[in-house]
Amino acid sequence: MVSSLCGLPLLALLRLGALPDTATGSPLQAIAETLSSRSVQRALWQSLYSAALAALLATLIGAALALMLTLGRVRARGVLVFLLLLPMMIPPHVTAIAWTQALGPASSLLGWFGLAPPAGSANPIQSPAGLVALLTLQHLPITLLLVQTTLRGLPSDLVDAARMAGAGPAALLRRVLLPLLVPSLVAAATLSFIAALGNFGINALIGIPARFTTLPVLIWQRLSSFGPSVLGEVATLAAILALLALVLVLFSWWWLARARRAIPASGSTLGDRSNVRHGAPGAAELVLWSFTLAALGFPLLSLVTGSLVPTYGVALDASTVTLRHFIEVFGQSVTLRAFGNSAFAASLAAALIALVSIPLAHFIGGNGAANRRLASFAAVQADLAYAVPGLVMSVAFILVFLKPLPIVNLSLYGTLSLIVLAYLAVFLAVGLKPVASAAGQLDTTLDEAARVSGAGFGRRMGRIHGPLLLPAALSGAVLVFLTAYNEITVSALLWSSGNETIGTVIFNYEDGGYTTLAAAMAVLTVAATVVLMLGLSRLARRLPRGVVPWV
Amino acid sequence: MSITAQNFPHPNGLVLFLALLPGGIALAAPSGELVLYTSQPNADAQATVDAFQAQYPDVEIEWFRDGTTKVMAKLRAEIAAGDPRPDVLLIADSVTMESLESEGHLMPHPEADIDAYDPGLMDDEHHWFSTKLITTGIVYNTAATMVPESWADLLGPEAEGQIAMPSPLTSGAATIHLATLTGNEALGWNYYEGLAEQDALAQGGNGGTYKAVAGGEKLYGFVVDFLPIRNKADGAPVEFVFPSEGVSAVTEPVAILSTAANPEAAKAFVDFLISADGQQLAADMGYLPAHPDIAPPAGFPARDQITLMPFDPAQALRDERDNKERFMELFGG
Repeated sequence: MVSSLCGLPLLALLRLGALPDTATGSPLQAIAETLSSRSVQRALWQSLYSAALAALLATLIGAALALMLTLGRVRARGVLVFLLLLPMMIPPHVTAIAWTQALGPASSLLGWFGLAPPAGSANPIQSPAGLVALLTLQHLPITLLLVQTTLRGLPSDLVDAARMAGAGPAALLRRVLLPLLVPSLVAAATLSFIAALGNFGINALIGIPARFTTLPVLIWQRLSSFGPSVLGEVATLAAILALLALVLVLFSWWWLARARRAIPASGSTLGDRSNVRHGAPGAAELVLWSFTLAALGFPLLSLVTGSLVPTYGVALDASTVTLRHFIEVFGQSVTLRAFGNSAFAASLAAALIALVSIPLAHFIGGNGAANRRLASFAAVQADLAYAVPGLVMSVAFILVFLKPLPIVNLSLYGTLSLIVLAYLAVFLAVGLKPVASAAGQLDTTLDEAARVSGAGFGRRMGRIHGPLLLPAALSGAVLVFLTAYNEITVSALLWSSGNETIGTVIFNYEDGGYTTLAAAMAVLTVAATVVLMLGLSRLARRLPRGVVPWV
Repeated sequence: MSITAQNFPHPNGLVLFLALLPGGIALAAPSGELVLYTSQPNADAQATVDAFQAQYPDVEIEWFRDGTTKVMAKLRAEIAAGDPRPDVLLIADSVTMESLESEGHLMPHPEADIDAYDPGLMDDEHHWFSTKLITTGIVYNTAATMVPESWADLLGPEAEGQIAMPSPLTSGAATIHLATLTGNEALGWNYYEGLAEQDALAQGGNGGTYKAVAGGEKLYGFVVDFLPIRNKADGAPVEFVFPSEGVSAVTEPVAILSTAANPEAAKAFVDFLISADGQQLAADMGYLPAHPDIAPPAGFPARDQITLMPFDPAQALRDERDNKERFMELFGG
């Protein structure tokens, strides 16, 4: 089942991408034609270099922040980690809208301090440099998370011994920590590169006005202006992205496996140390808080001011402030339908994934060799489906589901069901991870004891594994919901009128010139995300470590 | 992106039901099912359908809406499959209508009353009928020192590096604007070459252009009238100018498909849209009516103050590809 959802569409894509059905000429000729187009070559090159630059910066900055967070004496570390990881959960198109409003001549926030650029000056964020900067900020949490996890797992003796041997901070970093962090850093850089490569929201909303077209935007433009008739050509473009991502994912897994082996874990670890600080704030605290304020507080506040003015271009003050756009968001049938559709699709996907995850995680950690191999194979496919850019997965889904299904003779193309199916495929990995990690920590004797007492598979699932893994499955479900309810990359190509998602409506408002409405809707979704994340943090206290990423 | 017919669960149900009624109904007024494909915004489409049904309660309208390109992709797929669903089509531009007409997919409606209208707005052979005017003029940010009065003013030094416009690759209105201005003797391609020398930014659609000007990132832009006119009423720092040479217009034409299953109701729908009531409806929605005697909505100048530049949809259809390619050479893809 997992294969048919996660694996098959990708296979179909690679097949069509490699061998397009052409009426005239050989398939190779068609591919060569697509690739020789100047706009394709330019988009490919611009995609590669912007993603590479963003990945490099994200890895450097993310690692520096993780080092300060873990080794520095920092108060309220939990709050900081939460805030620094928040950008990962804010959809990229919202990030793009927020920064556009923050830095342009119409920025209320800059205007209050007399810092707004004069009318007639270009918005600095709408440039290739701005695009790279936003991609960096958006995907920086990946590095932060990976490096922090590795650091926390290092034995504290390591640092203490180095310090006693007279190593200063520089020597400690260069001689001891960095060599141990290399595998995590390489993996983080690769994963950020893939994420930036497939990013749609930033590439579209920043790249288009910056005259900087990247591959995902090119795919979207072609498909939305020419419809399924250009599917063959689009499949070739998507297959390029998919292949690139696949190779890099495998590469990063290999490095991550090395990272795990490199860590000699025993005794107390760096993560156990409390590092409580008293008195005046130290350098690490200052840097971390100013970064958080600049990279998160500033754009989010701009987004809020942008949603409170009567129309874009008006400065916010006591006489202009209005809640009209929030009222309008709830008064329009499109937005209401989008909230309904997204909530429905995301929660259905989350619930189904949680249900599937429990037996799947059980098999992965279980004893039966055949079952384990099958389940692991499924998990690998799920990981690939998640890592490959969402836009690529949706092209793959169009390929498989455009024609009516056999037997029932019903096409799912253009329906909400197809979006739900795509969510299942793309986000299975998100929901499975916490359950698999919890299942790995279960005592296998429980299962054996039940089996000896004659309990069948269903009974063992329902009575033992189900209840024990339920909290992890629940938190997995919340993570899936958080990722899916405001995403745009998957639904950008799959939506149709009547089946709008929150992400596509925000994007279309912004694209159509209704920025204030887009901002109001974005503010609501960010608020909902924060509330859900806080709820999950509460739940985390009752969960095994590592289940909720930011705790 | 919708290709399925999920919006039309039982297109023939009602027709069948009516046909089976004992004795039948005296069909003085059109009745039965009418299928409409439209690119009007959702709320506008709903209002149009409601207003029509208030006059023709016996006609049941099934409608589907999406952007013009997507509506056309769906219709083309249906035509290819030999089963076009809609009776009437209400889409953004006459060029698309012209291409359907040239392929013989439209049914003429010679009885339509178009005497009051500018003849340039209607098809000579009564295949399609313009229902409103969405004009493209100049928007400027009120911080701008030079106030443009004509298209030519944008070639002055004050506007250098300060112009934004939608790309014909994204926007249908921009495609028609390009064809209109380049077809004008005084402006022509020289004008667009001048714009390229001014380093005009031509990316995305009308929304992006409007945003750039309202946000002060650019001072001048080409944009469809209703965005700046409606937002100015909310206090946006913008003004909209109908340039002295005239404006180009997208006319949202309506047409009957040659394969229409219910031509009587389809004709009633067309007649309604170009009647005084239908035109008043367009004005009430905030658009410039095509009918010269209906007062424009608030924020628009009087109808006789607005000059429409001549536009030949058939010629534009022939030139479309060349125009886009030449545009791309000047402004980049």
